[in-house]
Amino acid sequence: MCHQTVSLAARHLEENGIATIVMGCAKDIVEYCGVPRLLFSDFPLGNAAGRPKDPPSQAFTLELALRVLESVPAPRTTVQSPLRWSTDPSWKLDYSNIERLSPEEIQRRRQEFDRQKEIAKTVRDAPRAAN
Amino acid sequence: MPFRPLEKPLAECRVALITTAAPYQPGKGDQGPGAPYNAAAKFYTVYSGDTAVDNDLRISHVGIDRVHTSAEDSNTWFPLPQLRRCAAKGRIGEITPRFHGAPTNRSHRTTIERDCPELLARCRADGADAAILVAN
Repeated sequence: MCHQTVSLAARHLEENGIATIVMGCAKDIVEYCGVPRLLFSDFPLGNAAGRPKDPPSQAFTLELALRVLESVPAPRTTVQSPLRWSTDPSWKLDYSNIERLSPEEIQRRRQEFDRQKEIAKTVRDAPRAAN
Repeated sequence: MPFRPLEKPLAECRVALITTAAPYQPGKGDQGPGAPYNAAAKFYTVYSGDTAVDNDLRISHVGIDRVHTSAEDSNTWFPLPQLRRCAAKGRIGEITPRFHGAPTNRSHRTTIERDCPELLARCRADGADAAILVAN
């Protein structure tokens, strides 16, 4: 949802005169929506701005985003960060991969998903505070 | 596909930061490092915060990779401190006075018809030339 939301927002801003760069870890979603500029880091979701506790990686990632923002010649440009999360790529197979979950774990996650959905509905429908 | 090239050097641009992270809300369950998905901490309307101060933003309310990241260093999803350093050394002109929070509504229509125009209005009010959007 995050990647879809920021992709739609980037398109809207760009249509209205504000240049954008999306920083993300889910290339498929952003490219499916289609945005002017994407800096893709092939990292676990939640690390679009660099590796945790690694300030040089964070500085490098933002600088790369700025370079993409100022330099790409045409929309739908994806630049992939050269940084790697790990020398072992097996982490990529774990996210929401039903093949790697037991039937009990799938059942537990279903129940938890439904429970969280109900909580979310309560939050969404609550009177909204001004902000 | 919309495309708006920068019309001036980044060193002269005012840059906005947009995040899907949420402000920490005491009493709304575990939002700390390693927290499970926590829908109670979600938000459903655009919010803004002061870029001149440090902000405690969390990502327990969205679908991050909880196996391979623990969400303990907010600089991996909210690069405001790093963007401030870029402004200090003149890499960008300045940061807009506010950053903006984009709600992850599970509805195209809500995002497109309500949230996107609100984000645009706030970026315009802040005089943004460009925006950095960080997804989670």
